[in-house]
Amino acid sequence: MNCQNVRKRKKQNANTKKNKKLKRKDEDQMNALTVKELRKNYREHTAVDGISFAVKEGEFFAFLGENGAGKSTTINMLCTILKKTEGQVKVFDRELGKEDDEIRQKIGIVFQNSVLDGKLSVKENLYTRGAYYGLSKKQIREKLKPFMKRFELEEIWNRSYEKLSGGQRRRVDIIRALLNDPKILFLDEPTTGLDPMSRKIVWDYIEYLRKEKKMTIFLTTHYMEEVRDADHVIVLDKGRIVADDTPVGLKNKYTHTKLLWYTDRSGERDELVRCFDHSYEADHYIVKMPGEESFCITDFLSVNRDAIKDYEIIKGSMDDVFLNLTGRKLGE
Amino acid sequence: MRGFSGLTKRNVIVFLKDRQSVVFSLLTSIIVLVLYLLFLKGTFVDAIETVLSQQSMLSGRISAGDIDMFANLILVTGILGSAMITVPFNCLTTIVRDRENRVDYDILATPVKRWQIVLSYYLAGAFSSILLNGIILTVALMVIRMQGNLYLSAADICQTYGIVALGSVSATAVFMILVLFFKTSSASGAFFGILSAASGFVIGAYIPISQFSEKVQTVCNIFPASQVTILLRNKLLGGLLGHMDESIGGIDEGMFVSSIKEIFSFQAKIFSRNLEIREMVCYIAVVLMISLVAMTVIYSKNYRKK
Ligand SMILES: Nc1ncnc2c1ncn2[C@@H]1O[C@H](COP(=O)(O)OP(=O)(O)O)[C@@H](O)[C@H]1O
Ligand SMILES: [Mg+2]
Repeated sequence: MNCQNVRKRKKQNANTKKNKKLKRKDEDQMNALTVKELRKNYREHTAVDGISFAVKEGEFFAFLGENGAGKSTTINMLCTILKKTEGQVKVFDRELGKEDDEIRQKIGIVFQNSVLDGKLSVKENLYTRGAYYGLSKKQIREKLKPFMKRFELEEIWNRSYEKLSGGQRRRVDIIRALLNDPKILFLDEPTTGLDPMSRKIVWDYIEYLRKEKKMTIFLTTHYMEEVRDADHVIVLDKGRIVADDTPVGLKNKYTHTKLLWYTDRSGERDELVRCFDHSYEADHYIVKMPGEESFCITDFLSVNRDAIKDYEIIKGSMDDVFLNLTGRKLGE
Repeated sequence: MRGFSGLTKRNVIVFLKDRQSVVFSLLTSIIVLVLYLLFLKGTFVDAIETVLSQQSMLSGRISAGDIDMFANLILVTGILGSAMITVPFNCLTTIVRDRENRVDYDILATPVKRWQIVLSYYLAGAFSSILLNGIILTVALMVIRMQGNLYLSAADICQTYGIVALGSVSATAVFMILVLFFKTSSASGAFFGILSAASGFVIGAYIPISQFSEKVQTVCNIFPASQVTILLRNKLLGGLLGHMDESIGGIDEGMFVSSIKEIFSFQAKIFSRNLEIREMVCYIAVVLMISLVAMTVIYSKNYRKK
């Protein structure tokens, strides 16, 4: 896939320069992020291996991959923290490596690990962090007003950060990332290690930001179910992009819905499932149909209502996507 | 600028709000105080009385109160001298911890400039040290003043605060370079333990440096902190020694005061050479400057994107 990309680009290069320039400008204006052949080497170890992708403004973009896939490294490069070894990145039309200060004004990051100070109260943490962006106390108070009620900031306002629960901390982390009104919010595994309740709170939060604030969201995760609502998913494996699609697209490409039809085997029945990928095991047929909510299943069942009595439908899951892409189960 | 001051403030309160860390950074000073109350005072007083007994004409000319006061002020220089080492170092371990926990990433992704990050750590260390040592000095002077006359003018006291400031900024500058070598907070913590134990000896809080061999004295005095303590001693005890000299009335031609100065190290000895006050101030200033330049060079490399 990478090889093909390169070849394609070479072909494009052959086009007239003028043409290319026009095209590039058009692309970038719509893109929050444009990443080309981004690479990161830690000495001899390659953590990110020449990845290219684009994120549109207002998009909910998800980066899916196991531990060590290179998600954090990518985010840290995009956020001007780590130096890229190779490649070009544009963040809202600003070039990474040349216009870092402009980029820093436009981004917010929720880091994988906690970066706020445990001994400091929530208030002190937010006030000092706001000052990093040149904000006065008054401006910060003004910015935090909408969060006070909505995200129950009031009750933890004077408590020290280390005394908060995991979920409360995450909430403060996110508010911290929003202090400078970023145009794009990076969230590096924001729900890892949280209890289901807290996870839901974080989730509602992200939901609010993308729906009401129209913020571009860049999420990394190793939970398959979290990318379901994304507009655009990239699956990263060992520093390489192995898939780049919508969640539905991924499911259609890499999962099947299985119909288990419990019946004896016969030639007549074989004929019935002939046009599908199928097999027979012990006491049932396994009929594979492409996609998750496969329409052909319902069609197939309604047409053969009389013949098929005892059956079970197993939907393709996002977990299968990862399994089919990498040959490994997520989290193994 | 607000980013810079915000970050500096953060670095200060991260240290000061951690009560345990503050107490630990003052542990050597606390030990010096406890030992003083237990027996150090006795050894100081004995040393003075030995000098007095060597010259019979001096008997009765120096009051017991003044000797007491002398010992008390020596204690203050010991407490401040070690705190001016341990406080800046402990405050600067925030740098190690921030790097270990990747808290610095949070700063690096903001518009705060790289040189501002470095300088904010430095200023936070220097400020914390000036603040804590200033408080210690103030409290100490008030407590001791209640027990007798210090023979200190307002100008002397102001200059003492000045020396505390000089000691704080120079020690912080030296440690800025040192902390860069620590990758983990457990390593810097272990070093802090050694530093705490050593600091009291190096600046002569337990035993006056003059009791050591010339070589050891030279090693001790290479550290600006020892020379700062000597400056403090001169400033804080100068008035009292002058008063003692007056009480004697010149019959010993100043012998008593000069032997006391010799015993309690009022001059920094580098090999066999005694440094004048002016030379000590110059030495400290030069070390400060070199450290600041080294700090700028090393850190700008270190905080560049990797
Ligand atoms: N500072 C570093 N030095 C060397 N290797 C690193 C460093 N940081 C990360 N790596 C390696 O790079 C790879 C990607 O790590 P990371 O980006 O943290 O993955 P993820 O966030 O997807 O779990 C891993 O193999 C990791 O061991
Ligand atoms: Mg990670």
